[in-house]
Amino acid sequence: MEHIKKIFNTKPYNYYIFFGILLSLAPTAQQLGLLNSSTIIVLGTVIFYSVVGVGLNVLLGYSGLISLGTAGFMGLGSYMAAYLTVDMNLPYFLSVIISVSIPLAVGLVIGLISLRIQGYYLAIATLGVSEILKQVFIEMDTLTGGFSGKSAFYPKIFGLLELNRQFTFIGMSIVLVLILIFSHNFINARTGRAFLTMRGSESAAKAMGINLLKYKLTAFGIATAYAALGGVLYIHFIRFAYPSGWSVTLSLQILAVIVIGGMRKMNGPVIGAFIVFGVPELILKQIPIISGIDGLAYIFTGVLIIVVILFYPDGVIDLLNPIKDYIEKYKENKNEEKSLLDNQ
Amino acid sequence: MSIFLQLLFSSLETGSVYALATLGIIIIFRTSRMTNFAQGSLGMMNAFVATFALINLNVNVFVAAFIGMISAFITGVVVDLVIMRHAKRVSPVSKQIITFGLIMLFLGIAPMLFGTSPLSFPRFISEGSISISGASVTYNGIFNISVGLFIMIALFVFLKKTKWGLAVRVTASNEETAQLMGVPTKLVTMGAWAVAAALGTLAALMLAPAITVNVSMMDNVQINALIACVLGGFQTFYGPVLGAYIIGLSKNLLIYYVSSTWGNALLYILILVFIVFRPNGLIGKNYIKKV
Repeated sequence: MEHIKKIFNTKPYNYYIFFGILLSLAPTAQQLGLLNSSTIIVLGTVIFYSVVGVGLNVLLGYSGLISLGTAGFMGLGSYMAAYLTVDMNLPYFLSVIISVSIPLAVGLVIGLISLRIQGYYLAIATLGVSEILKQVFIEMDTLTGGFSGKSAFYPKIFGLLELNRQFTFIGMSIVLVLILIFSHNFINARTGRAFLTMRGSESAAKAMGINLLKYKLTAFGIATAYAALGGVLYIHFIRFAYPSGWSVTLSLQILAVIVIGGMRKMNGPVIGAFIVFGVPELILKQIPIISGIDGLAYIFTGVLIIVVILFYPDGVIDLLNPIKDYIEKYKENKNEEKSLLDNQ
Repeated sequence: MSIFLQLLFSSLETGSVYALATLGIIIIFRTSRMTNFAQGSLGMMNAFVATFALINLNVNVFVAAFIGMISAFITGVVVDLVIMRHAKRVSPVSKQIITFGLIMLFLGIAPMLFGTSPLSFPRFISEGSISISGASVTYNGIFNISVGLFIMIALFVFLKKTKWGLAVRVTASNEETAQLMGVPTKLVTMGAWAVAAALGTLAALMLAPAITVNVSMMDNVQINALIACVLGGFQTFYGPVLGAYIIGLSKNLLIYYVSSTWGNALLYILILVFIVFRPNGLIGKNYIKKV
């Protein structure tokens, strides 16, 4: 036990890698009959929303800015990826690069405009942007297929190997682990420290020589790029997208992911994505009487957001604190007894 | 000319809807320093209550609207008592997030109580129209415009001339000083939530005949109301209301004269650009933040 703890403490990456390995065992578990086929789809959903969540966490958790355009940028990324791979027949990796960098460029322009003004304007400005993007998705039907939607395939690597669902799932787990390690690195470095200072007090940050606009823009750019990447993963796993799916409600759900999972925690978005997108599908629908209620998932998420903000600002994981306290007390008592016995 | 007049009247009607929602948002912003994103959802849920009363209790349209507004008033009080009062110490960003939580909550509760199918709510005045130099305006349209204007004027008189209006303005300017001066700020904040919810419901009911009562009926109004606040500036009560009417008008003009598909998008872009040049809005005052 001590030995295992040592491995995780000396190298924090091992924690993420271990999690990734555990996650990529899920398709095998399905083949062995331990998991349902639909469970795999739900877990895949959790993975790509985790990626989006990690990005938004950088913006909301570490820099204290709210964006409501997440779903719009995610949609932009996914439509780009679908168009580039299906209609233009571009190689998979090239399409990923293009469909992340175009939303990123759009996001940076919007950030440049709205970040010059007070913080709470960003939420409203991005809300307007997501409306514009929704209109674009409906009207530009050569790119997006309009109301009827757009379909895509599982990723085809190097033009030869077309993955099936199991391998796409494993690929997504690898992407999630890479994203977590990358984010862990820059959050625990100069950039992350600048974000935290900025969140604490903008004036203090300015006085320390932190360029506010630059770091705000960096945070917004990271959030946008991760959202687009999440969209790319979405379209190659679910293989279908339609305009009304990228609504403000989705942006709110992604925001809920971070709030519920715990802001300023690397694993927060993963926990949050499982609670917001996994629990209603996997658990709430199995409970007999309440499963028939319409809008149950929304009520569950809404109540959790409010409760977490009011009582557990560090995320839903704190709900387990009483249990943790109990275990620690139990251990202490045991140690005391032991020492008493030893003394005698 | 008659086309322009026609556009003007329809803009005044949509402007009234936006202005009512905007007024709710700005009252809450001024008294409790939070941008209320749940204004539309509050209105949506209580519009369902009004429609439910109309269908099941067989009452007059006006009585149904009144029931809806009373239930909105109570919802506002409950939201303040149960949630907002305990959120005094959380940061402004977290307060915003609480209103996002409220949106999700109402999105879930409305279909749970009233079903998922859209309901229809009739006009206040069912038929009849007059023609003003070539432009035809329904009686209902005139009714909506005048109710909107009447409520605006009544509220501004209330804010400027009465003792309670003074209490609201004092709370808006500095809550702690207001408390020291013996202003019951808790009651003021609660009243703000209640009135805002009732205004949102009225806006929803004015809109309802055109688009039916459904879960997403107020999404568009919510966005336009928030943008009206940005356009008018958050520092005054009347700025955002003015912004709401401007948005109503310029939206219709852009949609009619420029492009029917991209008019909306163009308006948002224009306002974004406008904000770059006047960050505090049309009537915003630039006040210096102390550290």
